[in-house]
Amino acid sequence: MLSYLIDIFLIGIVAALINNFVLYYFVGICPFVGVSRKISTAFGMGCAVIFVISIAALISWTITTYVLMPGAPLTQWAAGLFMTPEAAAGVDLTVLSYIVYIFAISSSVQFVEMYVRKFFPPLYKALGVYLPLITTNCAILFACLVIMSKIVGVDNPADAWDLGRGLTLAVGGGIGFTIAIVIMAGIREELDLCDVPKPFEGAAITLIVAGILALGFMGFTGVDSGLRKAMMPEPAAVTAQVQAAPEAGGGDVHN
Amino acid sequence: MNWITIGLSASTLFAMAVVISYILGWANKAFYVKVDPRIEAIIEALPGANCGGCGFVGCADYAEGVVISGAAVDKCPVGGASCAAAVASIMGVEVGESYPQRPIVHCGAHYDERKGRSPYFGEMTCEAANLVAGVQGCTYGCLGFGDCTRACKYDAIHVIDGLATVDYDKCIGCGACGNVCPRNIITITPFRKSQILAVACSNKDAGKDVMAVCEVGCIGCKACARKSELFKIQDNLPTIDYDHWDAECTLDVMEACEKCPRNRLIFVGEPSPADVAATRDKELPEVVEADFKPTVDDTEWRG
Repeated sequence: MLSYLIDIFLIGIVAALINNFVLYYFVGICPFVGVSRKISTAFGMGCAVIFVISIAALISWTITTYVLMPGAPLTQWAAGLFMTPEAAAGVDLTVLSYIVYIFAISSSVQFVEMYVRKFFPPLYKALGVYLPLITTNCAILFACLVIMSKIVGVDNPADAWDLGRGLTLAVGGGIGFTIAIVIMAGIREELDLCDVPKPFEGAAITLIVAGILALGFMGFTGVDSGLRKAMMPEPAAVTAQVQAAPEAGGGDVHN
Repeated sequence: MNWITIGLSASTLFAMAVVISYILGWANKAFYVKVDPRIEAIIEALPGANCGGCGFVGCADYAEGVVISGAAVDKCPVGGASCAAAVASIMGVEVGESYPQRPIVHCGAHYDERKGRSPYFGEMTCEAANLVAGVQGCTYGCLGFGDCTRACKYDAIHVIDGLATVDYDKCIGCGACGNVCPRNIITITPFRKSQILAVACSNKDAGKDVMAVCEVGCIGCKACARKSELFKIQDNLPTIDYDHWDAECTLDVMEACEKCPRNRLIFVGEPSPADVAATRDKELPEVVEADFKPTVDDTEWRG
């Protein structure tokens, strides 16, 4: 139980800070550059992303677990009508993942948008502009694909992520996006008052700032393994898989 | 085996499509929000520039304002009279006589006519320069750093020889220049004709002080007010009450214009057909302005 909580905590921290979606993986750059002019709108955008990414994670985890992955209950049952149980267990529908995710996410966001518009008009006014914008934003699709990669193709079925881990990754990623875009909006509000050289005006200086910001976030690398060591001193825990951070360790490069 | 996988994929997507479209169809009815059709019709009728010239956040907000809170139908500066008529017909009201709103720059001094202008090395914006004392002698007039030019989305106002000058051919009257001017010398005025009379000075100081800082500024001599009742002197500066001016140049007004010792009563607006005809055959020399920005970096630290 404790190790599960630590795991959850670390997944959240890793997704929010260390492997920040925007500044580490460079997904979701479009809203990051486009909607980061004012802190208030950037924060609204961030909240909308958190909201949509959570829904997306919930849906994609459910669909992956029950329909798409090899040996998923629904698919196995349907395939079992036509073939032997052994063959049915191997039916793999993960090729459909992209189309199914986009389809499911966009329609669920559409549904939620209608619901919010009817019952929470002020919230709709605050988020309404952004919701359709980020329906299948690549940061959101990316979260779904990360969750899929943690469910499908893991060697030990017990290591497959449960819904809690998936949701934590999504919410952490959304919070990381919000942090990144709000920092960026703050910098850009200051930039408006600066004397930027003509060739760098506009998008150019924004991308330069984003790059420096990304460099800064690289400083978090390794924090997760340190935290894990600090929280789980037993040798068994140290060898446990570090969930994210595909650290290109120096050793690999030299070999 | 392969056929079964293909069939399963197809049926998965088909089942999702059926379920989702059913749910969305139901939600569309169950969560239907009644929107006044007039709002959508007005959004269609508006130009969609989202310039904010009407005082609302954007065209959609203005449409809502017209329908729900009863804003005036002729607020849109971009669409002008035809747009106001369209909105009025949607709302079922009569549109009153409306005139295009255009900015007037109440300053007439170019660089060489201003006195007491000191070298300024700060941020090259009017907003920043206005905070510094002594950038130029006249504390009312145009600074010429072009905040208005940058604010204009329509390329209709330019700093020519240190003075903001409106290009009335391009201007649509959104008022962005007037909002951004730190010295508030740009007013948005209803133009009853394509050219109207304007007072091209904002200096409220006494005549002697104005003479010290400007070669063309209004000295408050009241000559115009003596000639014509159109001009009222307030704070050493003539003002024109445009509501009570029928845009006709009566004799007394023309006399006042000629009498002004500083020639500060000028006509602004679109060039008249006569002006256009006079300059049509003239070949304008192509002005080449040096652009040092790409080669000379002026971002040095000036703290």
